[in-house]
Amino acid sequence: MADREPLRRGVTIGLIAFAILTYLILIGVPTRIGAAAFPVLSALMALFIFAMLRNPMKGYPAQRPPSRIIAHALVAGVVAGVLTAGLVWLFTSLMMDGVRIQPVFDQIVPQNIAALHGVSPGAVANGEIAWTSALLQVGMLALAGLAGALLVLLNRSQSAGTLRDLHIPGTKWIVIALPFMLMALVVWMGSPNVTIGGNNAGTIRLLLAMITFGSGLFALRQATGRVERTVIGVLLAAGALSMPFILDQFQNSVLGLVFIFAMMGLGLNIVVGYAGLLDLGYVAFFAIGAYVYALISAPMSSPFMIQQLTNLGIDPSTPLLSFWLAMPLTMAIAGLSGVMLGIPVLRMRGDYLAIVTLGFGEIIRLFMLNLAPLTNGPRGLLNIVPPTIGEFSLGTPRYIFLLALFGTAFVAFAAYRLNDSRLGRAWTAMRDDEDVAQATGINLVRTKLFAFAIGATFAGLAGQIYAARQVNIFPDNFTLFVSIDALSIIIVGGLGSIPGVILGALALKGLPEVLRGINEYRIVAFAALLVIMMIVRPEGIMPAERRKRQLHPDDAPPEDLFTTSDDRVAPTITLDERSS
Amino acid sequence: MTSKIARLDSIPTRKVRSPSLFKWGLGILLLALIGWRVVTVGIAEGYPASFWISQALNGLVLGGVYALVALGYTLVYGILFMINFAHGEIMMLGGIAGFFALQVFTSIGWMDGSAALVVFGLILILIIGMATSVITGVTLERLAYRPLRKAPRLVPLISAIGASLFIQYSVLLIFGVSPHVYRKPALLEGGFRVGQVFVSYTGLIIFVTSIILMLALYQIIQRTKLGRAMRAVAEDKDTSALMGVNVDQVIVFTFILGSALAGAGGVMLGFHNTIVKFNSGFIPGIKAFTAAVLGGIGNIPGAMFGSLILGLIESLGPSALGIPTEYKDIIAFSVLVLILIFRPTGLFGEVLSGKKA
Amino acid sequence: MTLLAARQVTKVFGGLTAVNRVDLEIEKQMIASLIGPNGAGKTTFFNCLTGLYKPEMGVILFDGTSLIGRRPDQITSLGIARTYQNIRLFNTMTALENVLVGQHTRMHSSVLGALLRTRRTLTEEKQAAERAVELLDFVGLAGEEDTVAKNMAYGDQRLLEIARALGSNPKLLLLDEPAAGMNPRETEAMMALVRRLRDELEITVLLIEHDMRVVMNVSDRVSVLDYGEKISEGTPAEVRADPRVVEAYLGPGAQEEQANADPAPA
Repeated sequence: MADREPLRRGVTIGLIAFAILTYLILIGVPTRIGAAAFPVLSALMALFIFAMLRNPMKGYPAQRPPSRIIAHALVAGVVAGVLTAGLVWLFTSLMMDGVRIQPVFDQIVPQNIAALHGVSPGAVANGEIAWTSALLQVGMLALAGLAGALLVLLNRSQSAGTLRDLHIPGTKWIVIALPFMLMALVVWMGSPNVTIGGNNAGTIRLLLAMITFGSGLFALRQATGRVERTVIGVLLAAGALSMPFILDQFQNSVLGLVFIFAMMGLGLNIVVGYAGLLDLGYVAFFAIGAYVYALISAPMSSPFMIQQLTNLGIDPSTPLLSFWLAMPLTMAIAGLSGVMLGIPVLRMRGDYLAIVTLGFGEIIRLFMLNLAPLTNGPRGLLNIVPPTIGEFSLGTPRYIFLLALFGTAFVAFAAYRLNDSRLGRAWTAMRDDEDVAQATGINLVRTKLFAFAIGATFAGLAGQIYAARQVNIFPDNFTLFVSIDALSIIIVGGLGSIPGVILGALALKGLPEVLRGINEYRIVAFAALLVIMMIVRPEGIMPAERRKRQLHPDDAPPEDLFTTSDDRVAPTITLDERSS
Repeated sequence: MTSKIARLDSIPTRKVRSPSLFKWGLGILLLALIGWRVVTVGIAEGYPASFWISQALNGLVLGGVYALVALGYTLVYGILFMINFAHGEIMMLGGIAGFFALQVFTSIGWMDGSAALVVFGLILILIIGMATSVITGVTLERLAYRPLRKAPRLVPLISAIGASLFIQYSVLLIFGVSPHVYRKPALLEGGFRVGQVFVSYTGLIIFVTSIILMLALYQIIQRTKLGRAMRAVAEDKDTSALMGVNVDQVIVFTFILGSALAGAGGVMLGFHNTIVKFNSGFIPGIKAFTAAVLGGIGNIPGAMFGSLILGLIESLGPSALGIPTEYKDIIAFSVLVLILIFRPTGLFGEVLSGKKA
Repeated sequence: MTLLAARQVTKVFGGLTAVNRVDLEIEKQMIASLIGPNGAGKTTFFNCLTGLYKPEMGVILFDGTSLIGRRPDQITSLGIARTYQNIRLFNTMTALENVLVGQHTRMHSSVLGALLRTRRTLTEEKQAAERAVELLDFVGLAGEEDTVAKNMAYGDQRLLEIARALGSNPKLLLLDEPAAGMNPRETEAMMALVRRLRDELEITVLLIEHDMRVVMNVSDRVSVLDYGEKISEGTPAEVRADPRVVEAYLGPGAQEEQANADPAPA
């Protein structure tokens, strides 16, 4: 029958479900869940079967008879159940015979198998598991299939989509109020007599704080009109700046790192998002920033520096420059190296550029590893001095976070202004069509080098703050993965979108810290998320929006504002208000 | 006619001077510097000729393995214009599967049996490694790349990065942190001498096998129907589809070929380095990609020669320049950067230029 | 007065001589056309003029300055702008932004100016935006300022390309098949626009065109390329009467059969 989906579909879904279950068992998830492992996994599969069956196959009518859906789901559940139970039984019987599977599959240990049967690990060793347990498992997954079908039918009965089309009046104000409400919640959770979440209270609070920041970015986009934007911006900025004083050491430490990566992401966003130059070696400038500051503030760990300074009659045991005085120097050196690494790749495009910049990144790291007289090799540069104001040290996570917030604000502000200028338009033009951009009068060399230099400067600044945060830095802090992190941040957040990049940093650097509880799974979870994200929403969480007509700034729509909540506190903002 | 035109007439029409003179001057200067360094340091060290030859042989072996992996990058790039960032992981999985096959064959005594049995076992290990990689590659294409075929170029790259991380850390979780050590059968131990030069059996077998596999690939692409379709799709995807080529099928076939070679590379790298672990595909993957770019990505013979050249540079470079071997990666990347500056489409040009912009 | 003088311009691709010893002179404030069958080397010649290709041989003088060896952006700032046969706009940008990019060489704001939003930068931006609106009005795209280029209608995209080119205040505007793919009404408007470029903006125009009605209607002077060589030159009437042109378009021997026919159906 042509209008009926074949039962094969159910079998396919069952096989995929089996593959997922096998993967989860092999990476040891049941061990972590404990005795309820199989019911939990079955519930997960019910959701999966629902997701797979929700829409009809291509070329089949949208209205499917309920019996067909139930049949498909049941087939899927039984197929997955028989295979999974079979596999589990294979492991079980092998173990009961005393065969050790662990040398091959690291996680197939008695605890894991016992959790799947819902018994204690001892039962496996003693061979006390009956084959009826396997039947039970088949039954559970068959039930999961039925549950999935039920979800599909329920989902269908309520007219889908109406919720999305509904325009609730005042949504805008709810969105704007949300970050402040969340912040109140964060404050409340911090008071000593509140005990929510038990051992995980700190992590939950961190997650809430991150959501607060994220919702603040959305709130800012909702604001329209000049006055409204300014007022909400100032309020949000005040909220953001008080965050470090509300949160505890652990939360501040994580968010400090998040915003250091946000700075880096914003810099890379100029190179990749604005100018369209795919740079995979961006870590080089971050590393240069960190190492330059480290050499300035802690010359004692570099034999070369000790020797040179001694020759010059300078005491190498004290920092050469304070954090603040070193800042322009670090940024200048990073920017200059951006130009130097940019020159050779001026004529390269696309993937060639990607691989060469990747090469540069690795070269810089290998130099740090092997240029031991200067960089102290793998032993790293130690005891980097934190920034101070007078005698007051800003080395605690709280002030590093604050510093990173200011840094992010500065970088976001600069990026916004640059993008909204002659240079920014030249970048976009170059990204859209390099040849035509040149024929339209854009000097490609200048435009590209500016992108590399400015991007590198921002990374240098991020690197300096990072060095101050870490106190000791090693070449291993600056692997290719940092470049990949930064690139993922801007892509997940939304290429070319400033709030998107900050959101991306929160999601990609913050969430894994929240997920520390399931430490060993966070990278696979993150990686899977990256792939799924690219398939489901490749434009990023908060995509860039078009700049609108510059002629009438007064009736500019809200999208005009790329700025983050923190822009308002940047010192230059007063100048902005005056001059426009 | 104005005076400006009079000026025009006074200018003789002539050949326009090549503007790249400066660039080439710089290149020659650089070569001279390297040459000088080689003469004063490398040769002055006074290594015997046999040292250089055995280093070169090492380089060829390594280059052969790189070539197998580089071909996968080049094939996929030629068809899809995307960097399959997870290709190194596809290779690593082949190595892991090869390890377990070797374990099984050792435990049932095949590896201590007659020479024929050992050879049979080794071939089987190679096939198992290749099959595992093929399954991985095809799954990856289906799940992570196919939905993104129409997306902007960065999107599949990020997806590939995600897939790469996912495979690496899944392997870490499933098979544990401890590296898997290849225990070579006695037959592969040792080697023979040609004059002063020692040739290891493992190296010889790896090199010969890679050559055979590459020749096989070349035959498949040149002679078979699917190979022809592949070349057509590389030339123009849309037109090929109009001409009745099943583009999906061709892409899957490309992944099969590339992954099979990578799997073989993984097994051989296992025998060469003796250990395999979750991240052991990463660096060779990057090197192989470098080699593919070196030869002109999308260009099949280019990838082979690029890999051999990279292998040679890596093995000879440090001694020739008199610098520590830790810098061999720097040399490899520097060569890449230099070649791309002077020949932006790789050493052997690019077959598919213009399409990727 | 001569604005552009090209002598013996030659461009070779591999074994193919795409442009072979072409001489061309264009007087100020005229509309010159370059015609010829497909593959005659017209666009290649354009690319030589705008610096995209470097001719193997020859001299190109523009307003007394040699163009050979200059980069496209330098040539644009000297006062040559162009459009493309297959429309090449900055697709993610709005119409207004496209024209603003066109004005790039006529603006001066620095990185620091952009960061601090100095009064100078703001004034310049404001003037540039006003100019862009004027130019969009001029080509007939009033009200389309905020439309993203890739979402515009085909004919409007052609007009936007012209507005973008005008942004750089060119003395010479090169139009590569401006009327290609347009319906008769749009073609009529395009012809009027080309005339207005000359009459109102005092711009010299060199256009490549296949539509003979356009060429014969607007051109002051026509040059014909065939296989990279200039085979004829003169007023539209002279070129129309040249037997070599008819031969180039219709093949050898055609002129006897079609003695009275226009060399139009290309």
